[in-house]
Amino acid sequence: MLEPVKLANFFIVFFSAAAVILFGATYALIFAWSRIKARPGLMPLAYVAYMGLFISVLVLAFAAHLFHNELWSFIVLLMLAGYLIAPHAIWHLCIGTHAETEAAPSLNISQQH
Amino acid sequence: MAASGHSPAITMNGGQKLAMKYFTVAIALFGAQCLFGMLAGIQYLHPDFLFGILDFSINRMLHINAMIVWLLFGFIGSVYWLLEDEAGVPIVGLPLAKLIFWVFTLAVVVVVLVFLLVQIGPGKQSTIWLITEGREYIEAPRWADIGIVVCVLAFFYNVAATFARGRFTHIGGVLVMDLVALAGIYLAGMFYTPNISMDQHWWWWVIHLWVEATWEVLVGCLMAYGLIKTMGVRRQIVETWLYIEVALMFGSGILGLGHHYFWIGTPEYWFTIGGFFSALEPIPLVAMVVHAVFDAGHHKLKSANNPALAWIIAQAFGNFFGAGVWGFMHTLPQINLYTHGTQWTASHGHLAFFGAYATMVIAFLYIALQKWRGNVWMGGNLVGAWKWKWAIFLLHAGMITMVMAMLISGYEQSQIERAIEGSTWMGYFAAQGHRWFLQGMYWRQIGGWVFSAGFVLLAWDLLTIGKRETRSALQVPGE
Repeated sequence: MLEPVKLANFFIVFFSAAAVILFGATYALIFAWSRIKARPGLMPLAYVAYMGLFISVLVLAFAAHLFHNELWSFIVLLMLAGYLIAPHAIWHLCIGTHAETEAAPSLNISQQH
Repeated sequence: MAASGHSPAITMNGGQKLAMKYFTVAIALFGAQCLFGMLAGIQYLHPDFLFGILDFSINRMLHINAMIVWLLFGFIGSVYWLLEDEAGVPIVGLPLAKLIFWVFTLAVVVVVLVFLLVQIGPGKQSTIWLITEGREYIEAPRWADIGIVVCVLAFFYNVAATFARGRFTHIGGVLVMDLVALAGIYLAGMFYTPNISMDQHWWWWVIHLWVEATWEVLVGCLMAYGLIKTMGVRRQIVETWLYIEVALMFGSGILGLGHHYFWIGTPEYWFTIGGFFSALEPIPLVAMVVHAVFDAGHHKLKSANNPALAWIIAQAFGNFFGAGVWGFMHTLPQINLYTHGTQWTASHGHLAFFGAYATMVIAFLYIALQKWRGNVWMGGNLVGAWKWKWAIFLLHAGMITMVMAMLISGYEQSQIERAIEGSTWMGYFAAQGHRWFLQGMYWRQIGGWVFSAGFVLLAWDLLTIGKRETRSALQVPGE
């Protein structure tokens, strides 16, 4: 069930795993920045960052033999979906929680949806 | 810190006066952590250093235990600081709280003295009760274990009874529930079974769930209060987000415990559970990035306390890199097989503990000191501001140097000791003697000196900050 990483792939695994998180944060950062500053032109950059995350997850999955097992393949898909959806979901929560107390500024932000 | 002067014009409540005592001990123990860490680091480079006088095993134990206890003192002090303010009534059972402080402090002193004076000896039942339990990170003898639980229960009584009598805010509610877990989960580390796998199974409840779950929630509560006080963020928003973040942390974090069960003899399904939740654990951190940007856009980052805000920001970054990036790099079992227990783990541990917890306690120290010094100005152009700025720089520069150095040594260990030599006894020594490992340890020591210099500057700043300020603190809206 568990296939250890090959010695030659150690660095690839470490590097791609770190890249998953860093691209994830970059995606979230640009996504939120684009929305809060009402600059839709930045949004494609956010998805470029997500593409970086996507590639990093695939590199990690191949190097760590995750596609050799159905369950681990499912975890890979879940990571891809989770990181894609999380900034959207949190953004909606931000709008919802701030709208109750700060009607005027949040109205402006909500209109971007 | 407690001995330094403060303006009598500002009335501190009973909890806040007690908190200053906890903070004073916390900083002293932080210094002890640095000292024993430095000595242990020198022993990596010169194994004969202090051999037979202060052995590496003792230094390492004191280094780690000092960290756990100073953070605990910092957290307890922080909670006493906010308690009356949040509940709106005086602390219930304050005399008990004062007594418990002295009992707890005395117990820590006795435990440390025993560790130093009885470094070797037979492992008997009396050793467990009086000297050390010998279980990594929670080496305190059984009497001290019981004492810790009694202290935490008394602390819980103070907090729960005060909120029950006064105003039960949402921060208070989360805090009280968290303290139930804080006292309860520690019990899992207090009994033995003859089966080492079962023993480790329960031990990890303390190490992972106590530290990574209950402490995280506690820090969330402190962060919520800190944001209200330093930036004037509305209480309703902060409290709603406290619930969301606690749910996200628990959703991925509780069963993230599984990544510690990979190699202790537990059933195979823990590979999948641990891998699954470990992959999800960084998602809350990524989600927090969105919330932070949203908040920064809404509130114009006008702070009443710049040092505290700087440390709160450091907490966000430190938590993200230490727990998120450094954790996920080696958390999947396919690679963790090689890295578990190497300097790689130490690298992750150093950055995560400093980033997630030490930063938050230091932020709270500055919040407390602002009031202690007479609610003075701590915004821009603060008199003597270079000290806190250089302290935060040196502490971070030192920590990053240590973390990168240990990363290199850990990488070498995972390759040579684990992958090439197959975790043999000879492989262990081959890896320890390799020049990459030694160079990493050398640089780690340099990082340690820089970090220690940062600590000295921090302590000096805490003793003096605001003393020469005559301006009043900036008023932030809040509540």
